[in-house]
Amino acid sequence: MRALILVLLALATPARADFPQTVQDHILPGYAAFDVATRALADKASETCLPDELAPAYHAAYDAWMAVQHLRFGPVETDGRALAILYWPDPKALGAKAQMALLTGDPAKLTPEAFAEQSVAARGLLSLERLLFPAETLPADPCPLIRATTADLARIAAQVHADWQDGFAQTLATAGDAGNATYLTRPEARQALFTQLATGLEFLHDSRLGRPLGSFGTPHPDRAEARASGRSQQNVLLGLQAMRQMVETLTPDAPETLAAFDRAIGLAKTLDDPVFAGVAVPRDRLKVEILQQAVAQIREVILSELAPEMDVGIGFNAADGD
Amino acid sequence: MTSRRSFLAGLAAVAIPCPTWADAGNPAYLAAAKQGETYALHGLTETGESLFSLPIPSRGHATAAHPNRPLAVAFARRPGRFAVVIDCANGVELARLIPPQGRQFNGHGVFSADGSILYTSEVVAETSEGRVGRWDATTFVRIDEWASGGIGPHDIKRLGTTLVIANGGIATDPRDRTKLNIPTMRPNLTQLSDTGAILAQADLPGLSQNSIRHLALGADGQIAFAMQWEGDPAETVPLLGLWRPGSAPRLCEAAESEALRMKGYAGSIAWNAAGQIAVTSPKGGVAMLFDEDGQFLATHARGDICGAAPLGAAGFLFSDGSGGLMTLVAGSLVPLNRLALHWDNHIVSL
Repeated sequence: MRALILVLLALATPARADFPQTVQDHILPGYAAFDVATRALADKASETCLPDELAPAYHAAYDAWMAVQHLRFGPVETDGRALAILYWPDPKALGAKAQMALLTGDPAKLTPEAFAEQSVAARGLLSLERLLFPAETLPADPCPLIRATTADLARIAAQVHADWQDGFAQTLATAGDAGNATYLTRPEARQALFTQLATGLEFLHDSRLGRPLGSFGTPHPDRAEARASGRSQQNVLLGLQAMRQMVETLTPDAPETLAAFDRAIGLAKTLDDPVFAGVAVPRDRLKVEILQQAVAQIREVILSELAPEMDVGIGFNAADGD
Repeated sequence: MTSRRSFLAGLAAVAIPCPTWADAGNPAYLAAAKQGETYALHGLTETGESLFSLPIPSRGHATAAHPNRPLAVAFARRPGRFAVVIDCANGVELARLIPPQGRQFNGHGVFSADGSILYTSEVVAETSEGRVGRWDATTFVRIDEWASGGIGPHDIKRLGTTLVIANGGIATDPRDRTKLNIPTMRPNLTQLSDTGAILAQADLPGLSQNSIRHLALGADGQIAFAMQWEGDPAETVPLLGLWRPGSAPRLCEAAESEALRMKGYAGSIAWNAAGQIAVTSPKGGVAMLFDEDGQFLATHARGDICGAAPLGAAGFLFSDGSGGLMTLVAGSLVPLNRLALHWDNHIVSL
């Protein structure tokens, strides 16, 4: 039994890890799962619009998005798809305003074709949250809009998945091959993926954690993401876990990076502040700040360990302020 | 008795023409790069070939190209304490400009139309008040300076006999580039006459935290300007504007679903003969195209894309931090060439 466990453990760490493995083991499965979860959500919405009955499928779809939301390149960036899936932050509440017009307006705007033309802020997961977990009684029956929103999500998720499967995965995996006009060299593929990690960690730090933290004198718990459905802390945890998994597929030799992720993940798991309400309470605020610092630490470690290991860096011009 | 041969040789000796850019291989562009641990200024052809690579002492920002002599002035990255004048025909450093006590170069400069004067964007080091330095372009001795009409001038372009200056509005610590006045900053565009008088100015009411930094000139005297947003990164603000001195500037928005791809940062701007305007964002890894009325056309993705310059009648040349040089063909970015270096910030057209 012990020998079997040892063999299984040895198999768990890939002996070969590089960007083709990231495509196969992290990106494609992630988009496939998001495709499945949004399809299930749309199907459920066609049966019932009751928030209690739709909530599990909503959470499953958001969980699936958090597994890939750090990948801000390729098919998800065309036609504003990533924003149509999740438009956050929305400091001027553009989404709520646009969505209210859709809720009380012409139902012709809810057909799939018409809905796809609506503002990205009015579509996607957080727009759905406003309908399933409303702060006040909604002025109209939300069911048609719930169905339009979930159908739109499923459509976009399927398109992104298909675009990856039908071409972009190949483009990325064959970086440096003759005729590849997108990734001229293999290092460019590694650079692109490293950039997703650096930017993803920055977004976690500055936005998912930073916006509710505000400053010590002016915290903004109202700015936490997905407060109404209680997902703020969950999203940070899932984002960290997804990026950690991506690192494992990118290289077999980044022990400090994985340790830094594990530390932040441990803090995120035990935080017990689902919507970061504690940022306004000094003793509880400290815990969120410690988590934020742990995320900052990961970003430093990926620069000192992962970047040289993968022979990449922060983009030469992106790093400079001009 | 002078032989006919020696007579002709004597004529030739006194008729040596002044060197021109042809003596440097007729580059279409200049671009600075980092190569390993060193820095160089390259001359590029329209097909993305490097004609020459001349060492510069440290990281370069923009370059000023002399209108007819093969001279380039490479400015150090701001806050810059020197600019290097390079003879691109033979690679010799002709002069090193040091700003006067209390002044720093701010990365950009431009020659007068006849090449007799070099104008440099500068700041008063302690306050970031803007200055335009004037230098004799033969002796490279400083003549005098003008006020730039604002704080933190950056790009400076010649428009007929006038100068247009992008005053970024950001006061920075002279030692470490820390931004000091974000809550109260007020960028502006300033047009100066050939005697340094302010002819026209424009600012951005309601968008004071949108730093105006880079300029491109249209065929009919319109000025396109590219901005960097210092406010809330979650807000979508226009990063491109159009200005005709004497009128209010017009801001050009990208499509709502596309605008955030620039990450609030426009790095370079170029305007081609077909009237298209390109802005790049190395932070967002995209180039965005607009038409001459400021209507958004398209977004093109390329990691760490930075330099942009017009190419031919209707195209653009782009550079990136991975050493790539790209152009647009039938609406897609295609690679022209790739060198083993990191292109830096700007491509300058000759």
